[in-house]
Amino acid sequence: MMEAAKRWRVSAGETEAWMDRAVDMAKDALENGEVPVGCLMVYNNEIVGKGRNEVNETKNATRHAEMVAIDQVLDWCHQHKKEPEEVFTHTVLYVTVEPCIMCAAALRMMKIPLVVYGCQNERFGGCGSVLNISSATLTDTGEPFQCIAGYRSEEAVEMLKTFYRQENPNAPKSKVRKKEFSK
Amino acid sequence: MEPDSKRRKTAEPNGASAWEVQPVLSELESRDIRLMPVYAAPVLDKKETCRLMKEVSAIYPLSNYPHLKRIRACLSAGSPHPLEMILCLAGLNGEQAGLRSLAELFPSGEVDFCGLGKPFLAHVPACAPLTRPQYEEAASHWPVSFHENKRISQALKGCLFSPLEKDRMQGYMELAIQAAQQGARQGMEPIGATVVDPATGRVLAVGHDCREGSNPLLHAAMVCVDLVAHSHGGGAYSFEDYPACTFLPADNSTQPPPSLEDGLPYICTGYDMYLTREPCMMCAMALVHSRIQRVFYGAPSSHGALGTTHHIHSRKDLNHRYEVFRGILEDQCKRLACKESS
Repeated sequence: MMEAAKRWRVSAGETEAWMDRAVDMAKDALENGEVPVGCLMVYNNEIVGKGRNEVNETKNATRHAEMVAIDQVLDWCHQHKKEPEEVFTHTVLYVTVEPCIMCAAALRMMKIPLVVYGCQNERFGGCGSVLNISSATLTDTGEPFQCIAGYRSEEAVEMLKTFYRQENPNAPKSKVRKKEFSK
Repeated sequence: MEPDSKRRKTAEPNGASAWEVQPVLSELESRDIRLMPVYAAPVLDKKETCRLMKEVSAIYPLSNYPHLKRIRACLSAGSPHPLEMILCLAGLNGEQAGLRSLAELFPSGEVDFCGLGKPFLAHVPACAPLTRPQYEEAASHWPVSFHENKRISQALKGCLFSPLEKDRMQGYMELAIQAAQQGARQGMEPIGATVVDPATGRVLAVGHDCREGSNPLLHAAMVCVDLVAHSHGGGAYSFEDYPACTFLPADNSTQPPPSLEDGLPYICTGYDMYLTREPCMMCAMALVHSRIQRVFYGAPSSHGALGTTHHIHSRKDLNHRYEVFRGILEDQCKRLACKESS
């Protein structure tokens, strides 16, 4: 972690600019009935991947913003004939919400060194809220990554609240469901 | 220790290789019983027991440890006294607990020591046992109360599933193994998975690990989650290059799956997944997000998150839990893993 901190420093201005874009992605998700999380992956000062939640769209509950962005970076590497490992190990992720346990594990496997995020993810967070996948040394998969939290976190929380207030039409209705099953 | 004899009751179908289904319980249910030191004392005069219980409990109620029985009978014939009684906790804050006299333990003078012997240190279970093996271990240290969960006990004895069910489970795992082998022939990690709707017995998707292709995150479980999405008209990846990755097209079904009516993203609700190998953290959490109902895996893996390094399926702080069983065709699944180049 110390090493990562030395190698990966992002200026406040840079962070502001990228996080603004990530927040826009989250807004787009919200407008499309998806959990409002948006992210960017930045390599050499260039956006090489961006994503927002696409769970409803793809009918795949693992299509979180980070997973979408990782796929885009892989495509970018393919198009630009770059080694994914070289690119990912020099890429910073800007995301509006703390990555969940699944995404944190994926980021480790891709060896992303630094994640800048907005608000905590109390339900699923993998960078300290529920589990600490980001800094765990025990898992023998991938590399730990450094986190910088708190950029535009109030807005990120506000968007999540708006989303959950809408009462997700896709959330399972546990008891009612059972009755429907037995029909 | 659980009785071994009961496990043998489920006779294997003729010719089938022997394997056992073992439940992967939560962290609390599968851990060893932790002990903590207490001060106990012999009850020299049995007639004083009731009064001593009342007086000692009034001062040290041990209300955080309701599983502990205050008194234990000394069954050994050579024992000089019939009963022993827990007085209070000792050295909980890490300090070394030395021997104490009754007067030191009860300085208020509200306990009449008549009938009580010299205090000694005992080690007793710190938490209530949740499973029969835990209960048996706990009770070997000090008597404890136990509310047995019949289903867990049955599962631990290996008699939760009938021979017919085990037959079906074997069939689903064999599909996963075949997919793993086909994937391996294309240079992939030999890991396979099958998704089944247990309500109908239909196989919804069969897939294998594709991480050696263009995307290192396409582990077998992730592949199958996306194949199920495809079978419901969604999906994010193309598996055209992998003919062993298949799904049941939605049109084939006589009626739409219940999840289509009210929960598109939670598309694995009610489904079972069979995996040749214990999934990693990413995959285990992907299955939480996908609301899988049960996971059956063959062989454990060193960084597995369903029993080996974590118990992602049974965390109270996550919004979904699923059942996990291991050991289905374990030998065959282990042999697959041995072939891995890594």
